[in-house]
Amino acid sequence: MPTRPDWNEAELLKRLQAGDKQAFATLVREYHRKLLAMARAIVGESIADEVVQEAWLSAYKAIGRFEGRSSLKTWLMRIVINEARTRLRHESRLISLDTSPFDDVEPMESRFDETGHWAQAPVTWSADSPEELLTGEQLADCLEHTLAQMPRMQRAALTLRDMEGVELAEICNILTVSESNVRVLLHRARQRVFNLVDHYQETGEC
Amino acid sequence: MLRCKDVARQADDYLDQRLSWRQRLGVGLHLLICVHCRRYLAQLRLLIAGLRARRAPASDEEVRRVIQRLEEPDRD
Repeated sequence: MPTRPDWNEAELLKRLQAGDKQAFATLVREYHRKLLAMARAIVGESIADEVVQEAWLSAYKAIGRFEGRSSLKTWLMRIVINEARTRLRHESRLISLDTSPFDDVEPMESRFDETGHWAQAPVTWSADSPEELLTGEQLADCLEHTLAQMPRMQRAALTLRDMEGVELAEICNILTVSESNVRVLLHRARQRVFNLVDHYQETGEC
Repeated sequence: MLRCKDVARQADDYLDQRLSWRQRLGVGLHLLICVHCRRYLAQLRLLIAGLRARRAPASDEEVRRVIQRLEEPDRD
């Protein structure tokens, strides 16, 4: 779902194909962060920005020929994925040096005792709504830090699925892993963030 | 009877309704008697919703930067 409730794809497309710059800015505003998350997942942090800029340029040049057979979102995602993969092929130093994301131990392993019961049970979180849970500058910083420390594939799965709402099938395509692998990645990433929030709720610190 | 550790491992699939009815029953029964796991499930659900709530459009600055670089003359 677009972030804007008044999104009208047909209307926007007409304006885009007429060369309306404001309409293109609207497109950028809506999808830029999602495309960045996708690029990061493929080429990593350092050149993701460049890749997305190239993708926007391609889109800008090609919008006149876009026939609307897919949604704008899907079209943009395709462009970014292609651009990212092309870059990846040409820059071998970017090839993932991640050790298998599945060697990682379960993030909550140490919270259970040898009988499988909670040794360190979750505290009760105080938040009246999901929106309220992760606001607050300090926790936002903690979250950024936790994300940065996560194995790249776990971070990618979490940002793409839980933050950007990308469909699982698309994530499989982006990360080139099976759906069950994506689920494991998500599970582990979420547990890491859970640990963070739980600790923060208890102590007020990261 | 499932252990808490098993429930935590299956929690994401439980929330996504991907467990078989038998597995779902196992988790459900455990949740009836375990306040810790009830809390874990509820807060995991809250966390996922909280992450989703952080979704935002690009900032004015980000948009400006993209558009500006689109309008630079071709480097080639």
